[in-house]
Amino acid sequence: MRLSISLALLLSASAIVFSHAQQPPPPAPAPAPQPSPAAQQPPAGRGRATQGPTAGQKPPATVTAQSYPPELVQQGQVLFVSFCGFCHGRDAMGGETGPDLTRSLLVAEDVRGDKIIPLVHTGRVEKGMPPQNLPDSDLNAIVAFIHDTKIKADTLEGSRRTVDPSDLATGNASAGEAFFNGPGGCTKCHSATGDLAGVATRMQGLQLLQRMLMPGGRGRGAAPRPAIATITLPAGQTVTGKVAYRDEFTIAITDANGYYRSYPTRGAKVVVDNPLDGHIALLPKYTNDDMHNVLAYLQTLK
Amino acid sequence: MNLRRQTLGSLLVALPLAGGALLVAQDPRGLDPAMMLKPPADTWPTYHGDYTGQRHSRLTQITAENVHQLTVAWTFQSGSAAGIKATPILVDGVMYVTMPDNIWAIDARTGRQIWKYTYPTPQGFHIGHRGAAVYKDTVYLTTPNAHLIALDVRDGKVKWDVVIADWRKGFWSTNAPLLIKNHLIVGVSGDFDNLPGTLKSVDPETGKTQWIFFSTPPPGTPDSISGGATGGQMWNAGTYDPELNLLYVGTGNPTPVLNGAARPGDNKWVCSILAIDPDAGKLAWGFQASPHDTHDWDAAEVPVLVDAPFNGTPRKLLMQASRNGYFFVLDRTNGKNLLTRPFAAANWTKGIAENGSPIPDPAQDPARDGRLVSPDEGGGTNYRSPSFDRRTGLFIVSARDAWGIYFFKPEHGAYGWAGADYGVYGKGVLRAIDYQTGKIRWEHDLVGGGGGAGVLTTETGVTFSGDASNNVFALRTSDGATLWHASIGNVGNGPITYELDGRQYMVVAGGGVLYAWALPQKLVNTPAR
Repeated sequence: MRLSISLALLLSASAIVFSHAQQPPPPAPAPAPQPSPAAQQPPAGRGRATQGPTAGQKPPATVTAQSYPPELVQQGQVLFVSFCGFCHGRDAMGGETGPDLTRSLLVAEDVRGDKIIPLVHTGRVEKGMPPQNLPDSDLNAIVAFIHDTKIKADTLEGSRRTVDPSDLATGNASAGEAFFNGPGGCTKCHSATGDLAGVATRMQGLQLLQRMLMPGGRGRGAAPRPAIATITLPAGQTVTGKVAYRDEFTIAITDANGYYRSYPTRGAKVVVDNPLDGHIALLPKYTNDDMHNVLAYLQTLK
Repeated sequence: MNLRRQTLGSLLVALPLAGGALLVAQDPRGLDPAMMLKPPADTWPTYHGDYTGQRHSRLTQITAENVHQLTVAWTFQSGSAAGIKATPILVDGVMYVTMPDNIWAIDARTGRQIWKYTYPTPQGFHIGHRGAAVYKDTVYLTTPNAHLIALDVRDGKVKWDVVIADWRKGFWSTNAPLLIKNHLIVGVSGDFDNLPGTLKSVDPETGKTQWIFFSTPPPGTPDSISGGATGGQMWNAGTYDPELNLLYVGTGNPTPVLNGAARPGDNKWVCSILAIDPDAGKLAWGFQASPHDTHDWDAAEVPVLVDAPFNGTPRKLLMQASRNGYFFVLDRTNGKNLLTRPFAAANWTKGIAENGSPIPDPAQDPARDGRLVSPDEGGGTNYRSPSFDRRTGLFIVSARDAWGIYFFKPEHGAYGWAGADYGVYGKGVLRAIDYQTGKIRWEHDLVGGGGGAGVLTTETGVTFSGDASNNVFALRTSDGATLWHASIGNVGNGPITYELDGRQYMVVAGGGVLYAWALPQKLVNTPAR
C-alpha cells in the first residue's frame, strides 16, 4: 500500500483551523500552543550547538557559579559517558544525536542539578531522550561533571567544532535571488518583503541555513504554519484541522477548542496540506551552489 | 508439494526433540553447535535466526489469510524506560533478550522471567544492545565496557568474564556474538576515537582469545593499507557459509570520521564486506561498499547469504543493503560484484567503478561551507535487519530517503569525529528489492522519519516489520499490502518466529516490552495443512 508524500509528514504548530460539515464548532478562546509530537525521527547527526545559541556564538554563561570536588567530577564522568555520552558526546559537547550541553541554556541556568536532574528523570521522549532511572548520588555526580566540563569549555579558544557564519559566506546573492524567484519556487509561499523581510537580522549562519532547508525541528524553530488535514469520513462529512498525529492507520487533528480527535484512515479520504512539501521537494534538486546562493540572498534581507 | 515437504521436515525435527525432553537427565540440554546448521522450528538460536541472515522462516501456521486473527499470547515487561533493540534468541524453550548491562531468560511459552542478570559495572556507552548467543549450556553477553560475560543458562550465574577491548580507549560493545563451531565471534564499536577495527574469536568454553582480526591496522603501523585510517569496527553480527567455511562481516566507518584528507586513498578495509576464515582469522576477500568514506556510512549492515540463480546461473550470493544507499550483490565465493544499484536517495557518487564499488564524488565531501548530501549520517538503512524472501526473490529492507549537511574545516582536527554534520530531513519507507536487478518491486510508506524495526518474512508470504510510529504490522510479501497491525510502542528490534507445542509465535519488541503473538488457541489445531 502506498501513501502519497503529502500524507507522510505530520507537523504541529499553534494555529488551528476546524470545520465540520454538519456541526460547526462553538466559538472558543485561543488554544494554548501544543507540544510538537515526535512525528519525525530526530535528524541524525552529531549536531553541535543546535540548542540555545547558534553555533559560532558564545555559549551562555553560567548564572550561578558552582564548584565541585574532583572525585565527584571523576565519578560523574564515568557515569556521564555510560548513560549520556553516546548522544551528548563523551565530553558533553555534542554526540550522535544530542546537543552540546556546554552551550545549553538549561545547563547555564542550573544550580546543582535543580534543572538537570528533573529533566534526566523525565527525559525528552519526543526528542528521543529516554528517561533515566538513576539514583540521586549518581545524578549529583553527573551534574558535577557537566558543570565542570562547561567551565572548561567556556575557556576554550575559538570554536573547534562549530560552523561559523563566515564559513557559510560563499554564495552569490544575486544568483540566489534568481533561484528564489525562479526555479526554486520559493515565492509560492514566501516574499522577501513580507514574511522574510529582515530575516537576516533575526537569524544567521548555520541556524538560518538549517531553517532555510527545513523549518521546524531541533534548532530550526517552529514550522511557519501547521500541516492541515482535510478528512472526508466514510459517512461523507468532512473535518479539517491541524494535524496532531498521523500514521498509516490513524489521523488525528486538534480541533478549534483544543481537543484532540482521531479517526481511522480506513475508508476515509485524507488530504494533508503541508507547508513543508516545497522544502522537501527542493532537497533532491538543490546543487550545493544553489544552497549557498539562496543563503547568501537571505543574508541580504536585513 | 512444497508445503508437504515442509510439514514432514518439521515433524522430523520435532521427534528427536521430544525424545530429548524425556531423557533430560542423561542428555544435557543446551545448544549443540551442529544444530546451528539447520535450526529446528522451536528455536531461534542466533541473532539472525540462522547463519544465512535471511530472516525467512519456513513456518506455515500463520498465513496471509489468517494473520489478521493474531492475538497476544504473552508479554514480557522489562521494566526499562529504554526500548528493546535486541533480537531475542531461543534455545530449549528459553528466550534470552538483552539490553545494555542486562540479560533476561524468559519462558518462551509464557513470557515469565526465569532469571535476570545485571552487569554490576556501568562503564562505556549505554546506547543499545543487539542480543545474546548460546553455546551448549552457556549464554554470552557483551557489555558497554567491552567485556564478554559467560553465564550458566540454568541460573544466570557468571562462569567467566573476559575483556574484549579496553573501554578506556573508547571501545564499547553492543554486539550479539556469532557462534561458529568452537569459535565465538565478538565485535566492538568505537568511532569517537581513532581505534583499529577489531574482531575477536574467543573459545566459548574458556573465554581465551583464539585470534584477533584487524580491519584497519593499529595506529602507527608502517605502510598501512588503510592509508592511515583507523576504525572499521565490526559491530553487527555476521553470517556464515559452512560449505565455504567463510565468515562474512561488514565493517564500520573510518576514523577520523569526516576528515578524509587525513587518511588518503580507499582506506581498506573500512565500509567493506569481508570474508574471513573463522578458524584462522585471516581475510579471504574484501569488497568495499564505500571507498574513502567521509560520511559515517559503515557497511556493517547484514551480509545476507542466498543460494539462488543470478542471470540464469545458480550461484552462492551475498546481498547487502548498505548504509550509503546502495544495494550490492556479490558472488560470495570470491567477492566479485554482480550488481550495484541505489535503493535510497544517494547523491554522493560519480559512477560505479569496474569492481562494482561506487566512486565517491569529492565535491560531496564535507566542506567548510557545507555540502547537502543524501543519505544523511543515519544512512539509507542502518542496523535494522533486512529479510530475503526466497519465494518472491525480494530483499526487503527498512530504508530512508534522507538529506544532511556535512561540514569539515582544518580546525575540526583529525581526531574522532573531526567535522560536524546535521540531519535535514528523512523519510522512512520499507522497500522490496528484486535481487537480480536491484529494481524496487514495491514500497510501503512508514509514515515518518524512519523505522527502527527489522524485517521477518515467512514461507506463507507474510512480511512482519514496524513503522516509524508505534505499529507492528504484517504485509503481503508479494505486493506490500497491509494485512494486520497493532500499536505496541516503538518497534525497535527484529521480529522473530518459532513454533512450540504446535503453536507458531511471532515475538517483537514495542518499547521495553516483548509481545508474543499467535493465532487464537481454538484455531491452532484446526487442520490448515
